[in-house]
Amino acid sequence: MNESNATLAKTPLFDEHIRLGGKMVPFAGFEMPVQYPLGALKEYQAVRDGEAGIFDISHMGQVRVTGRDALAFLQQVTTNDVSKLVDGQVQYSALLNDRGTFIDDITTYRIDENSYYLCINAANRHKDLAHLLKHAANFDVSVSDESDETVLLALQGKKSQQLLQGITESDLESIGYYRFTVTTIHGAKTIISRTGYTGEDGFEIYLPNSAASAVWRSLENAGAIPIGLAARDMLRTEMGYALYGHEISDDVTPVEAKLMWITKLEKNDFLGRSAVQARRALGAQKRLVGLKLTGRGIPREQYKILADGKEVGEVTSGMHSPLAGCGVAIGYVEPEYAEVGELSIEIRGKAVPAERTKTPFVRSNVRK
Amino acid sequence: MTIPADLKYTKDHEWVRIEGDTATFGVTDHAQEALGDIVFVELPEAGRSMAIGDAFAVVESVKAVSDVYAPIASEVIEGNEELESTPEKVNEDPYGEGWIVKVKVTDSDTSNLMDAAAYQTFLDEA
Repeated sequence: MNESNATLAKTPLFDEHIRLGGKMVPFAGFEMPVQYPLGALKEYQAVRDGEAGIFDISHMGQVRVTGRDALAFLQQVTTNDVSKLVDGQVQYSALLNDRGTFIDDITTYRIDENSYYLCINAANRHKDLAHLLKHAANFDVSVSDESDETVLLALQGKKSQQLLQGITESDLESIGYYRFTVTTIHGAKTIISRTGYTGEDGFEIYLPNSAASAVWRSLENAGAIPIGLAARDMLRTEMGYALYGHEISDDVTPVEAKLMWITKLEKNDFLGRSAVQARRALGAQKRLVGLKLTGRGIPREQYKILADGKEVGEVTSGMHSPLAGCGVAIGYVEPEYAEVGELSIEIRGKAVPAERTKTPFVRSNVRK
Repeated sequence: MTIPADLKYTKDHEWVRIEGDTATFGVTDHAQEALGDIVFVELPEAGRSMAIGDAFAVVESVKAVSDVYAPIASEVIEGNEELESTPEKVNEDPYGEGWIVKVKVTDSDTSNLMDAAAYQTFLDEA
């Protein structure tokens, strides 16, 4: 732990985590619960086994973009095609720099044609804001950071809809995957989207700080199980979802990170586009692969990936997958090893054999 | 927090049960709780000889990798192979079914070890 507790921020739900016995650790400048007394494994299992898990992800940032040029601005600064969105739709996207590498990965919410809402990574918040504000100068838009006023909860797992329906009058059944509604919970204005980072059905709920504890407790009393960062990371790694600072960073472009599906080169010119085109023409410098260990062991971040007795890559995320029953990893390898050749992962000096596999490593249960 | 009176302890939170010229090693209740859910245990080969403080096994929790160190000079008789399929026994029963290795004692020097009361004091002061 490099961050001193004195400089760490607390989310508005900090007292709830303490009440619940959460083990608090520094994460992206915040003091966050890594697990509760139930333990990471049982928390993970609760979400996979059909319960509803509740996560405080208020460390994440929110930015509102409004104005006559909102669409044109977002078409310029994000990689995905914002013109494809309809009101109430969410889109996974990214911010790139002029080298075509990632400033951040984000989600874009279209509220209406002149009003959008972005959800960004906590650790990138100030960098993202500076970038957005710099480029906003050329457009008739207002960019406002609402992170400090906003709590973000994730409710994930099969029972999520049933539990959340108990505290909102909005018809949740009518919210499709990557769709949202603007509504009220306990009198507070909220955005509810059918999105998440676990591979299970569920919602993300944006609330004003003042409503956070009441909504958290309502969901907890209805049976939602508090889930810490450790289980959250297990759930996302098992789905092969990219995490900034691991699979994506300012060292890689969408070509390497397998994120060309959110990078619409044909839409219009946008920041990073020409660099991505050039990289695509030259070919990826390294490629992301999913690996399953066929031998015993747990792959971890920064472990070497080996082929032909030499290092050909590095693990970016790894874990023991309870569902797959083996070690699973995501990592970058030199392009010539992305599809052929025997791979292994070096664990404490030993080469443990691994096989390439598609991600997700286990079945996704998101409601598409 | 359980600290059985009949065992000896190290500052690295291993326990040792000495029975004549053989002994059993494991990690303490405090250690398993600090580590969290253990999902993998790597055991040493039978016959391996160990000096005090040698890292002889690895326990991995969801988030962390930790070495286990030999409390006394010894030679491995057998590792607890049950832990390869059920590593959670280290969490559930650290002094019983969660034992890690049985050894032949090769040097009876235990001056580095603490008794239960001293280990309790050590934990209280940490």
